[in-house]
Amino acid sequence: MRLLRYTIYRLVQSIPVLIGITLITFILANLAPGDPVQLMLHGQEVDEDLVRTVEERYGLDQPLHERYLNYMAGLVQGDFGHSIHRDRPVRDLMLDRIGPTLLLVLSAYVFAIVTSIPLGILAAKRRNEPADHISRIVALFGVSTPSFWIGIMLIVIFSVTLGVLPSSGLVYPWRTPADTSFFGYLAHFYDVLRHLLLPMIALGTLQMATLMRVERTQMINSLQGEYVKLARAYGVPERRVLRKHAFKPAQLPIITIIGLNLSTALGGAVLIEYVFNINGMGRLLIEAIQELDYQLIMGITIVIGFIFVIGVIITDISYAYIDPRVTYGEEE
Amino acid sequence: MTEPLLRVENLKTQFFTETGTVRAVDGISFEVNEGEIVGLVGESGAGKSVASMSLMRLIDSPGEIVGGEITYNGETIFGLEEGPDGELREREDMLSPERMRREIRGNEIAVIFQDPMESLNPVFTVGGQLREFIELNRDLEGAAAKEEAIEMLREVGIPDPEERYEEYPHQFSGGMRQRVLIAMALACEPNLIIADEPTTALDVTVEGQILDLVDDLQEKYGTSFIWVTHDLGVVAEICDRVNVMYLGEIVEQAPVDELFYETSHPYTNALLNSMPRPDRTVDELEPIEGMMPEAINPPSGCRFHPRCPDAKEVCTRVHPDPKVVDTVDGDPHRSACLKRDAFDVGYDESPPIDAEPDVVAAAGSGAGGEDDE
Repeated sequence: MRLLRYTIYRLVQSIPVLIGITLITFILANLAPGDPVQLMLHGQEVDEDLVRTVEERYGLDQPLHERYLNYMAGLVQGDFGHSIHRDRPVRDLMLDRIGPTLLLVLSAYVFAIVTSIPLGILAAKRRNEPADHISRIVALFGVSTPSFWIGIMLIVIFSVTLGVLPSSGLVYPWRTPADTSFFGYLAHFYDVLRHLLLPMIALGTLQMATLMRVERTQMINSLQGEYVKLARAYGVPERRVLRKHAFKPAQLPIITIIGLNLSTALGGAVLIEYVFNINGMGRLLIEAIQELDYQLIMGITIVIGFIFVIGVIITDISYAYIDPRVTYGEEE
Repeated sequence: MTEPLLRVENLKTQFFTETGTVRAVDGISFEVNEGEIVGLVGESGAGKSVASMSLMRLIDSPGEIVGGEITYNGETIFGLEEGPDGELREREDMLSPERMRREIRGNEIAVIFQDPMESLNPVFTVGGQLREFIELNRDLEGAAAKEEAIEMLREVGIPDPEERYEEYPHQFSGGMRQRVLIAMALACEPNLIIADEPTTALDVTVEGQILDLVDDLQEKYGTSFIWVTHDLGVVAEICDRVNVMYLGEIVEQAPVDELFYETSHPYTNALLNSMPRPDRTVDELEPIEGMMPEAINPPSGCRFHPRCPDAKEVCTRVHPDPKVVDTVDGDPHRSACLKRDAFDVGYDESPPIDAEPDVVAAAGSGAGGEDDE
């Protein structure tokens, strides 16, 4: 119940942040060089009346603050404006593309968390032994290597040389396969995984490396804690000391980092989608920038901003859930 | 005479660090009888905590118990023997790590740590932690363990134990947390409780309450205690017998009244003179000169000699092991000071220590100076 109130409280709190995101995005988009009407004309000479008609149609003749209010009025109704270049509503364009991006980012996170936490604990437990040194090297590699380079190398090794995994595109798990029998779904699922594997690793490696190092440090600290000493002194079995007494208090910074790194992950997704030819939001953003499609750039920027804010809220909520010391902002 | 509950003989615990071997505990021997509170006193770094953790075999790497024997209630907690190739190996009757965990820790010997703020796990409820230890060390499960936990919280004077059971450590004050730690120790119904400076982190009024509580509970349950502290005031209040530690060694061992009124070791004496006492009025307290040296490279001879007001030349050469200097009601009073007659190493004839190093130093620098020019 308190958690629910806290969630609502945090959501309400985030409204000014979201307004800030739209305002800055709007101003930047309009400060950028290039007149949308001129872009539509591709440099053709036309008469003034036509230009004015078009400006009126898109509301470009109004002052900036009124245009912003109009844009916001549309936004609250889910209308992100109209892509001039593609002649389609921005919302529809993004809806087509957001699924693959979310799939990619979430799977990269799952990959990072599932690998980094056991490896980090292992490194902490085997501190300064070979396992720890190997994990240190892997982490250093992961942190210092750009994700797109890892992507290209994975393609070279697994697609080009070995020919075992596809190098481009995703198969979407939410599409119904042609064969709707059980085995059809099974084959579909297998196909989804095959396509997802390389981009997921490429995007997830940085997160994995960061989380692994933090997990190691946290576990080492926690294992030296007085409460671990106490648990051992009362005969708690070593496995349970590690998995319960040392583990849980060590996870708080991990959650923070997962939340904050969402920005890096979303940024990385833009490049990974390009390398692996995935039709996601990131690729759409790059295309929109190349086409100087301001409405679309604005829409995508705002949506990514929103996703980040939601990520941070989820982080805060899970923090409050795990750490009893975090107050819910309502206490005296 | 009956066997003591715990017998420690010549215990040595060392830490193997990059800068050398730290001899944190260097051959201490003492006993704890049933129903007795035994003090382990000394400055920070004297090896008190390491000694007490050694009793439960809870020494983390790079530390290791390297010698001696610990016997608890007829069981060997630690013991070495000579192997066929002359190497020291663990004795066969020494308890296995699994049996140590299952049968000794918590069950037989429980511990109260010094830092109530850090010793409780911040992310679990107080009741949950208490209950876990009860379930591990007693034949109680589920609801019965919870009931016992609440009962113990009430026993140590925590108001509204039913509600407090569900709360987290950060919702407790320092004194209340220390009570929880005491409840943990008592709830496991051990025969021996090691209290490792349990009142150091508390303010004096709370310390008084906790000491009274322990006194009452000790009377009620008859549990033996090893009370680790640097505070002789606390020792006077609750201990039956006292071991004074200095730099990894026990320098004096005596029943508590004997220690205070027939002090035999200059270190104990210095400790007593450095604190205010209700039975003595002095103009000024005398601090002990200097710092305790590192246990990595202890002074030769008597380890206290560089700070000892009574040190003579012989003290720099001869290392004293504690010897019986008196007996009170069957309890020995041991002291490790060469001044005592029991040692007979020519202390009285030995020249004072101060003159010598000065002479050596003067001669050394004089000669060095000439060579340079």
